[in-house]
Amino acid sequence: MTLPVVGLRLALLALCLALWEVAGRTMNPLLGVPPSAVVPALRDLLLLRSYPDLLSSLALTVREIATAYALAVAAGLGCGFMLGMHRLVGRAWGPMLAALYAVPAVVWYPSLMLFFGLDAASKIAFGFLLGFFPIALAVLAGIRQVNPQLVVVARAYGAGTVTVFRRVMLPAMLFTLVGGLRTGLALCVIGVIVGEILGSKAGMGALINHAYGLLRTGDYVALVLVTLTLVVGSDVLASLLEHRARRWTE
Amino acid sequence: MRVGILQLVTVVAGLAMWELAARSGWVDPLFVPAPSAVAPALLRIGGDALAGLADTLGKTALAYVLSVVLGVSAGIAVGSVRLLRDVLSPFVIALYGIPKILVLPWIVLLLGYGTTPAVFYGTLHGVFPIMVLVIGAVRDVDRTLVTVARSLGATTWQLYWKVLLPAIVPSVLAGMRLGIVFCLLGVLVVEMFAGVRGMGHVLGSFANGFQAPELFAATALVSAASIAIVLALDHLNDRLSRWRG
Amino acid sequence: MSARPALIVIEGVTKRYLSSSGPVEALHDVSLAVEEGAFCTLIGPSGCGKSTLLGMLGGLVTPDQGRLLVDGRPVTGPDPRRVATVFQDAGLFPWRTAVQNVEFGLELQGVPAERRRRTAADLLGPLGLSGFAEKYPRELSGGMKQRVAIGRALALDAKILLMDEPFGALDEQTRVLMGEWLLDIWRRTRKTVIFVTHSLHEALFLSTRVAVMTARPGRIKAALDLTMEYPRSMESSEMVALRAKLWSEIREESLRAMR
Repeated sequence: MTLPVVGLRLALLALCLALWEVAGRTMNPLLGVPPSAVVPALRDLLLLRSYPDLLSSLALTVREIATAYALAVAAGLGCGFMLGMHRLVGRAWGPMLAALYAVPAVVWYPSLMLFFGLDAASKIAFGFLLGFFPIALAVLAGIRQVNPQLVVVARAYGAGTVTVFRRVMLPAMLFTLVGGLRTGLALCVIGVIVGEILGSKAGMGALINHAYGLLRTGDYVALVLVTLTLVVGSDVLASLLEHRARRWTE
Repeated sequence: MRVGILQLVTVVAGLAMWELAARSGWVDPLFVPAPSAVAPALLRIGGDALAGLADTLGKTALAYVLSVVLGVSAGIAVGSVRLLRDVLSPFVIALYGIPKILVLPWIVLLLGYGTTPAVFYGTLHGVFPIMVLVIGAVRDVDRTLVTVARSLGATTWQLYWKVLLPAIVPSVLAGMRLGIVFCLLGVLVVEMFAGVRGMGHVLGSFANGFQAPELFAATALVSAASIAIVLALDHLNDRLSRWRG
Repeated sequence: MSARPALIVIEGVTKRYLSSSGPVEALHDVSLAVEEGAFCTLIGPSGCGKSTLLGMLGGLVTPDQGRLLVDGRPVTGPDPRRVATVFQDAGLFPWRTAVQNVEFGLELQGVPAERRRRTAADLLGPLGLSGFAEKYPRELSGGMKQRVAIGRALALDAKILLMDEPFGALDEQTRVLMGEWLLDIWRRTRKTVIFVTHSLHEALFLSTRVAVMTARPGRIKAALDLTMEYPRSMESSEMVALRAKLWSEIREESLRAMR
């Protein structure tokens, strides 16, 4: 990253902010607000003045994400390994899994809403559904790329199944696996947020809908920024853990 | 052969267990109808569902064409100019990763209800994966091929048209395969959110009306359509990639 | 000494470039004249600038000082009607069949489809590729790929053929066979060839002239004229003596380059 490149990026950001400011001032304030109006709205939001239940909403959304992710990881790893370890099962069900991936996940959401209602459960279910596939597929891909020669050699030296897994397979597939885990988290987050915005009684999505419904555009932008911080923050956290995991196996 | 049999057995066994679960009351048939209830529902919703599907697919097709045209041209433009690529890449990747649903309420606010926000949002979803893949492909074009073409007297225009474009076709096809699912997703989301005519709305209203068999039937219909489209694209991909082996 | 005019003239060419450790002079005051119909080999240690020099003749690199003349005209850019280049990496377009690769240069020049297809197809015979016209590069061996690349260059029907270690990536046996085949093509088409190589064998077997380059910064250290008849016996006393002489010139430079 050289200096002129960084400089140009900052200049581009500044330009975008400037254009937004100009556009926001000339627009109908119900339709668009400039950054200068967003700042006080953000302040009101963070001071819990505009939405006193901000913290509980944020907490709920985070809980939904965490639950969805935990389930996705458990099911994804489980299914992935089962499909990967049994050649026939893997070859039969693998393509079926991939075919389901070709369906935009949002088609399942109305069914989930029917089944779970508007509560957190439907958001957790949707987040789980989104996050499960990349994890399972990453496990499958990771297992496939392990050099079978390494396993043969390890067994020839008397290594048991657990040892073979820990010392030979895991390091070989770690890169792909961790990538899948990271993508899975990003998709869980998106799933929960989409679920909340498409219909919920509580959580960040519900607040966003509320602000939008009342045309409180400044508050809407502030809420979006807070939610965006949550999204970016979770990915940053995931990438830090990725680096940790990488070093642990080196 | 054995693979096919196992798949068939899985599907049949799955349906059988589902039927059994619904009939025995293990799952509430109000929420999870038996396959035997879903099948006739498919016929009942027939005309309306197909109309909704056609509507959705029409908007998706429009969004898709826009996504491909914008994604490929922007991808080539950004990818082939080193400075642009260095400066803009993180922005493009960031925009790709941000949940665009956060701006959906605002888009509906600006563009209203109807076809426009659906096509716009669908394009927004589809353009980024294509652009990211094309930028990467342009960056990775084998330099020797460019040198060879230049030594054979290629003009800049010929370099783009006869060397760059054919070289990035595999990535464009991969992007197009991703893009169609993303475009369809975007259109469906808008239809669900804003109650716009189309499959998303159909699914939403069945859910609200607690019409479980109809909902399942409609979901199956959309899923089948999506899988069919992706399979068709994969087939096209294979036909155009003979030279890659 | 010959009365024929020099087709290629290189005068006082110098080329510098910036490396991570500061400015480096690749070529220093290089001068060489090559007459029409000659097979001139450039030989020298790695990094002596022979590829750069070839790049300049091909119009892909510009000198910092000095000039290069082809057919009396200064080189200002790629000139496929006069100069055709073959690189070490065959550089075949993977999405084009063998015959489509061969006709590529003609396609760029706007030659109508039927004519260029015929020209390309006619070349396949001498190239030893009859029956492989519709094959894709991934289906061809290394030697075949290089022959397609040479065919692509020959299709231009340029007077001059520049070849930058074209057989460098091939195994020994293929190299020898390709050398024989190239000689045959050269004698039939009467082109002027500038051939870059590391191989003493190739230099002695193929050329009418060998120019030895020094280690970086590259200069022409010595030029030998070979007048023996083709095909050449590598065991004749004349050849053995020449080889020894050539090796002594090169060895010194190779040692210098290694330091």
